[in-house]
Amino acid sequence: MSDNTPQTDEPAGGETADPTNDDMLVETDVAAATSGSTAGATPDPVIRSRDLDVFYGEEQALDSIDIDIPENRVTAIIGPSGCGKSTFLRCINRMNDRIDACRVTGELSLRGKNVYDDDVDPVALRRRVGMVFQEPNPFPKSIYDNVAYGLEIQNIEGDHDEIVEQSLKRAALWDEVSHQLDSSGLELSGGQQQRLCIARAIAPDPEVLLMDEPASALDPVATSQVEDLIEELAEDYTVVIVTHNMQQAARISDKTAVFLTGGELVEFGDTDQIFENPEHQRVEDYITGKFG
Amino acid sequence: MPRESYQEKLDALRSDVLYMSEMVVDRLRLALEAMEQKDEETAKRVIEGDDEVNELYLDLEEDCIDLLALQQPVAGDLRLIASSFKITTDLERIGDLATNLAEYTLDADRDMFPEVDIQAIGRTTIEMVEDAMDAYAEEDVDACYELAERDDELDEACRRASETVMRDLIETEIDTESSEEDVEALMNDVSRMLLTVRDLERVGDHAVNVAARTLYMVEKDDELIY
Repeated sequence: MSDNTPQTDEPAGGETADPTNDDMLVETDVAAATSGSTAGATPDPVIRSRDLDVFYGEEQALDSIDIDIPENRVTAIIGPSGCGKSTFLRCINRMNDRIDACRVTGELSLRGKNVYDDDVDPVALRRRVGMVFQEPNPFPKSIYDNVAYGLEIQNIEGDHDEIVEQSLKRAALWDEVSHQLDSSGLELSGGQQQRLCIARAIAPDPEVLLMDEPASALDPVATSQVEDLIEELAEDYTVVIVTHNMQQAARISDKTAVFLTGGELVEFGDTDQIFENPEHQRVEDYITGKFG
Repeated sequence: MPRESYQEKLDALRSDVLYMSEMVVDRLRLALEAMEQKDEETAKRVIEGDDEVNELYLDLEEDCIDLLALQQPVAGDLRLIASSFKITTDLERIGDLATNLAEYTLDADRDMFPEVDIQAIGRTTIEMVEDAMDAYAEEDVDACYELAERDDELDEACRRASETVMRDLIETEIDTESSEEDVEALMNDVSRMLLTVRDLERVGDHAVNVAARTLYMVEKDDELIY
């Protein structure tokens, strides 16, 4: 873990540890906020932040972040250790809420609705914003139950068998595990476990998938499989990925945001532009390894 | 500074490309001197020296591939390597053209076209290659654009030279007394002079290529490439 944020093991997305049956105000409000918003030629960003500051006690982790994250694209967040990239990711589904010293100001909206409004239920938010972590963290349950877990605790209706199968197929794991759905998820290889976690995250059908260095613990073959999967997932989901691996960001993302020390978003643009001709010298120095 | 070894390799690549350009310009200058003085020994040295240029070209190509494969360069570093990779190809071709000029010198046994100042055209091409490499070394964008404009002047000079040769050929009287050998020698002279002009014009084109790649390297501007 590289950022200021303390490492937590809590599940997120469809994996919330203490789900409630609160009204999912986010969905209701967002539906109202986005009605009619598709008429314009340029689609509204799925995630938008304006003047977003995050403090851990007296220490500022993010400094006035303005960003528009587009729909159905892979957006990579890169930057040196301690630059706030994971903090930003965890703001999107309010994973920072459980850190007492954490204070968030400014706007961070999901489809036009500020996720930090008082009437937003974090549990409902995390159903719409799934998350995959650095280390594969399947539950000590069967493969089937791992994927169905989020469906059950969130009372998501529908044919769970069908959803589990579709989620495993979308995670490019079905062919490898379809004959052993009752086996423990812990028996899978590291790469398979991570794809199982991705299947678990997408089972509740979120709109956004957050990934915090999802391939850093995997071998090159498993990394390649996960990278291919991320590109495919972007057809259905808005993917935001934090990675230390700049080549990985270059390979799989459409947009790249470069955070630098001090929690500052220095440059955000098309990935090819960032890696071929960044506007800012500090970004050039960072991505070419001249500092950091 | 992190990645010091990598930075040293990038600096070395840039230095080696400049060294290669000096070697090639030297060959070009010698080829023109040999042509002017009908110096067969110098011409042979130019021809034999082409192997050295080719070896350096292959070494630099390997250096570029190693940097791409092992260092995964991006941004300005990537453009430096990609541009250098292309520029070495242009320099190698200029070396080949210098060799061509030396071979024409060995083949020629008389100066048929004193009214064509081939040395002046040659000096222009040398200056263009040197200026292009200065632009590369100094990352001088303005010099890149100036070079592209100068190439138009070189092209015009080459066009006029070719026209002079062709007019000379048309006006040359070949009477019935002329032997077959005389006619063949005349055709060889004309052909050789046209090839010389064409090759020098191509040296100018390669100098523009160097400028175009330099412009891309500095500003990711491909205006002069296409």
